[in-house]
Amino acid sequence: MFQYILKRVLIFLPTLLIISLLTFAISVFAPGDPIKEMLTSQTGDGQSANIMASEKAYQEKRQEFNLDLPIFYFSFSNQASSDTLHRIVKKPHKTNLERLIYQYGNWPEVENYYWSMRDYEQAVFNVEKDSTNAAQLIKLKDGVSELLTSYKEDKIDNKIEEIVELSTQSASLTALNSTTLKMKASYENMKAKESSWKNFIPAFHFYGTDNQYHKWFFGDKPLFGNGDGKWSSKGFVRGDFGRSYKTQRPVSSELTDAVKVTSIISLLSIFLTYLVAIPLGVFSAVKRNTVFDQISTTTLFILYSLPSFWLAIMAIVFLCGGDYLDIFPPAYKPDLSGGFFSDLKSQAYYLILPLAMWTYGSLAYLSRQMRGGVISVFSQDYIRTARSKGLSENSVIWKHTLRNSLLPIITLFASVFPAAISGSIILEMIFSIPGMGKLALEALVGRNYPIVYAVVMCSSILTLIGYLVADILYAIVDPRISYK
Amino acid sequence: MSNDKNREQINELDQSFWSNVKRQFKKNKRAVFALYCILFLIFIAVFADFIANEKPIVAKYKGKTYFPIVKQYAVDFGIGKWPKDLQNVKWSDLEYDFVLFPPVPYMSQNLDYKNSQYKSPFDDQILKSKRWRHWVGTDKLGRDVLAGMVHGTRIALSVGVISMSISAFLGILFGALAGYFGDNRLRMSRIRLWLNVLFFFIALFYAFGVRSYILSDALGVSIISLLGQLLLSFLIFFAVMTVANLLVIPLKKIPFLGKRVDVPVDLSISRLIEVIISIPRLFLIIAIVAVAKPSLVLVMVIIGFTSWTGIARLIRAELLKVRNLEYVEAAHALGFNDLRTLLKHAIPNALSPVFIAIAFGIASAILIEAGLSFLGIGVPADVVTWGSMLNLVQDYPNAWWLATFPGFAIFITVTMFNLIGEGLTDALDPRLRQ
Repeated sequence: MFQYILKRVLIFLPTLLIISLLTFAISVFAPGDPIKEMLTSQTGDGQSANIMASEKAYQEKRQEFNLDLPIFYFSFSNQASSDTLHRIVKKPHKTNLERLIYQYGNWPEVENYYWSMRDYEQAVFNVEKDSTNAAQLIKLKDGVSELLTSYKEDKIDNKIEEIVELSTQSASLTALNSTTLKMKASYENMKAKESSWKNFIPAFHFYGTDNQYHKWFFGDKPLFGNGDGKWSSKGFVRGDFGRSYKTQRPVSSELTDAVKVTSIISLLSIFLTYLVAIPLGVFSAVKRNTVFDQISTTTLFILYSLPSFWLAIMAIVFLCGGDYLDIFPPAYKPDLSGGFFSDLKSQAYYLILPLAMWTYGSLAYLSRQMRGGVISVFSQDYIRTARSKGLSENSVIWKHTLRNSLLPIITLFASVFPAAISGSIILEMIFSIPGMGKLALEALVGRNYPIVYAVVMCSSILTLIGYLVADILYAIVDPRISYK
Repeated sequence: MSNDKNREQINELDQSFWSNVKRQFKKNKRAVFALYCILFLIFIAVFADFIANEKPIVAKYKGKTYFPIVKQYAVDFGIGKWPKDLQNVKWSDLEYDFVLFPPVPYMSQNLDYKNSQYKSPFDDQILKSKRWRHWVGTDKLGRDVLAGMVHGTRIALSVGVISMSISAFLGILFGALAGYFGDNRLRMSRIRLWLNVLFFFIALFYAFGVRSYILSDALGVSIISLLGQLLLSFLIFFAVMTVANLLVIPLKKIPFLGKRVDVPVDLSISRLIEVIISIPRLFLIIAIVAVAKPSLVLVMVIIGFTSWTGIARLIRAELLKVRNLEYVEAAHALGFNDLRTLLKHAIPNALSPVFIAIAFGIASAILIEAGLSFLGIGVPADVVTWGSMLNLVQDYPNAWWLATFPGFAIFITVTMFNLIGEGLTDALDPRLRQ
């Protein structure tokens, strides 16, 4: 048995590794730029007084979050693409460059072109604004920004023509001429040295351990001691989940705050479910085909099919103020000033409705399973033997039947573990409960990847543990199942 | 007389498996009722455009007869064009010689400015005539709720059916491979195994990696061009894999490379299933859908790609039992190759629990889609579905009609599929057969 447990735990590791790769991959392919959202939310306004200053801040933030490193240990791409592309700071620029590389196939020339455009951008910025060139300057700035994100040949041609034209319209802009010509020349160069055949030859680049995935998962702090100051994290494996992009707080503290709320509701709900469903199921099976059984079966079936978020919305409409009854509060806003458990009575008041919504679905499912299991056991021969031996009905039910119908119960228990922590996203959003579900959803939509990784990995670990616990319980409950 | 009775008895006795199942199913009144309800919903979904639409079914305008709804289909497929005087026109305001509007004369996303700000079905509504009444009320923007429910039926059912079809296909494919071949039934020469694995990645590179920009541009043009490019990609993929297998033939001669080894099919597929199961399904769906561009097709595909594991496990368990039975042995003895045995003999006998899983799976897919559109994820903002209407209630909890009716539609649909699933369970259960 112990060997079996050990073997199962060892199989966790490759599974977890693959899950970590999957979640990491999702974040990589996602559009949207978390650093940009971080910066705008921090400064409060989107304006930046100086392109270069904000770009420096952008670059620093990226380095802080390791986003200027390659993504993985190696990359498998084609000869045309570059292995240093990850150093380009702005994401829209990067995507455009990838497109240009695909079109022309020659990274050195594309890189030249890119930096010539950036030089031009800086040069435009350095020109002193006065009445003769104000309008032109604005158009030039817009023109260059557009150039940096265009890849279609005719569009670029038009834009460059436009820029050349605009530069001649004012005397103060002639200083830009050399940079303009350089830009045009590098563009022509890129087109001339086209080698898009390189797209068709695969290439392999190796980056070693200096990549984002390694830094996230394994960390770069040495195992013992503190090393020198520039190590950033201990890595996920050692418990350091990083910091949230949005609030800059450590992810583990955000997680513990959310888990506290979710686990209270989930654990209470599980307790209630098992407390009510098991006797109810057994009772229905014993009193099979009586009025009680028929009513409870139909009711439970209806409860089981009712979508929980619909019932929650109906409850809010009809029971929580507005035009109708006002029994329950619609949103979870207790006064937590004295700590989490300070005011149990008001906590309970806020939690009744969410708890009910959480519980009724699994309660209905569990009692139906229980009923089905007990019915199938009742028709077995050994129950007939027990009855003919003269055992009381109570003893037959609780000592013999129950243990044999426990298997579906245990299966349900396995899925309860991860649900206890990951919560129900929809119900938490409806009732504004600050639990794990709400945290995960807001992190997903807001591209707050450290939290997303942590939540997904924790749920996966708990799911695997839950399955292991279920298998062990199977072996305990049913002596026929053994793992020798 | 007695001859007829005997014939009837004989006919009843040697019915095949599936007609027995059908008979057992028909005895379950609730399940049959559910089946009729589902057929009714399918009818609504197919003819949604004729039941609720801003355009009339048939209209005689300025002397010419038009069938606007049918013409809209033609225009959408690119084989028709609207005449100049009917483009961008408000169909309800035109002067017709004769007109027949659909029962609900609104489209789900039409804004009725005179009746916006949550008109209840019992309020006074500002209308041209009783014909135009919003029988189930409107939402904040003036969209008719009944029209939304009709078109929502189409979305819900198509999401349910298409995503479960994808799930069933993937589940049967992987489950059958895992169960039938196990870890020691598929033998091939070492070089064939290595070359196939290696060339799989190379084929991916040439079919999809290099063509990624072509494919995404085609997606922006139209579905037809995307399908064309996808077809080309798949052809390239198969061509590369064929090259790989052709290369095997000469290389097999070398003794080390030609040695036959077991392919651990079951092990790899079971690990894959474990990985997919470990991630909470709703998380995975939301994660992928939230980061991509909102599109209904993506939602269907993602739900399909994350729900196949249950069916795969069922098929795998069945085939693990079945592959040692005599009829499979007989098929091998007769010289049928693996593909034929699988497709014509093994899988059809393992399909019973799969149908049950599909019925319950459609119900859960509809729930997931409703949940996603409730959260506002994955479905484009202008598409009205049952879930999105429920979402609107949160801003204005007094609009009970927005909560009750769409939610009731979800509830009924899910219940009906659950009933069918239960009916199938009872019909297929060998212990209950009379």
